[in-house]
Amino acid sequence: MDSLAESTDDVLVAAAATGDESAFEQLFERHRRQVARIASRFFAQREQIEEIIQDSFTKAYFALNTYHGTHAASFKAWLAQISVNCCYDHLRRARRRPEQGFDDLEDGSVQEFAAWLRSHPADVETRLISRDLASKLLARLSAEDRLVLTLLDVEGFSVAEIAEVTKWSISKVKVRAHRARAHLRRVLQRYI
Amino acid sequence: MFKTSRPRNEELDLIGKVILRSAAAQEEDAEAAASSPFLFTRVRAAIAAEQRLQEESGSWLSLILVARRAVPAMALVATLAAILTVWSAGPMLNGTQAQADEDGLFILLDPGVEQTVLASRGLSRDDVFNIVVDRNYEVKGK
Repeated sequence: MDSLAESTDDVLVAAAATGDESAFEQLFERHRRQVARIASRFFAQREQIEEIIQDSFTKAYFALNTYHGTHAASFKAWLAQISVNCCYDHLRRARRRPEQGFDDLEDGSVQEFAAWLRSHPADVETRLISRDLASKLLARLSAEDRLVLTLLDVEGFSVAEIAEVTKWSISKVKVRAHRARAHLRRVLQRYI
Repeated sequence: MFKTSRPRNEELDLIGKVILRSAAAQEEDAEAAASSPFLFTRVRAAIAAEQRLQEESGSWLSLILVARRAVPAMALVATLAAILTVWSAGPMLNGTQAQADEDGLFILLDPGVEQTVLASRGLSRDDVFNIVVDRNYEVKGK
């Protein structure tokens, strides 16, 4: 195990691809926090984050043969791509569940949100609304809109980085970001 | 119009960013999820389940592939069987008179039996009637 701990990601991947479980466990230990961090940008609940970690590493295991590392950060970037795609899949599945929508919020919550929006916007960056309320509000966006806005505004990715992670073209990312922002504005305008 | 909508859009975008950040989990939650016990055991179980699923679908796939390969062979057999059937039925259609008589006798429900027998012996309906009447007289005479 000590020798595994000193091995590079690429060596571990090669060993894991031949069925070495301890090598795969070492990769899991090294990168689980990174996957959790990505998942936490999209999902607030601990169970959801755990599910993303589980799905990401399961998918990574079966795709090990397709990994061809060329530089030190390769595996990390490759795994990040898988994790983002897992988040996207989960967002799409969540969209199909009507109970995740904003419409089922109690009147009190909607009023609270409307009041929050009407309040002085100067200190808006320092304010936080209830996480549950924010999640339900964002459930009104499509999975693609949510993905692109989160990667741009929360994760701080560039358009090129999003294109690389999602395998979309740069122009598609730009168009999607523009539409997502316009959609979010429309949603917010309803409550102001 | 643009002068008024641009600051408004900027304000909405700012609010949108706050909402996006609010929906994200805190660092501690992410750390707690990553440090969750038995997480790797769950990953291992998920991998094993996926492998089983792939093996099952793989066996079905191989069965379909074998069946696909068998289709031309089965088509060939069916064609041969059809050719043989037509070929063996051919002589029957152009068969001899004797064969037709036998067929007529064996198929009792066929209304053509009587005509076939009469035609083969060269008897008319009257001849048959006379034979029957004569036979009846002979029986009564005895």
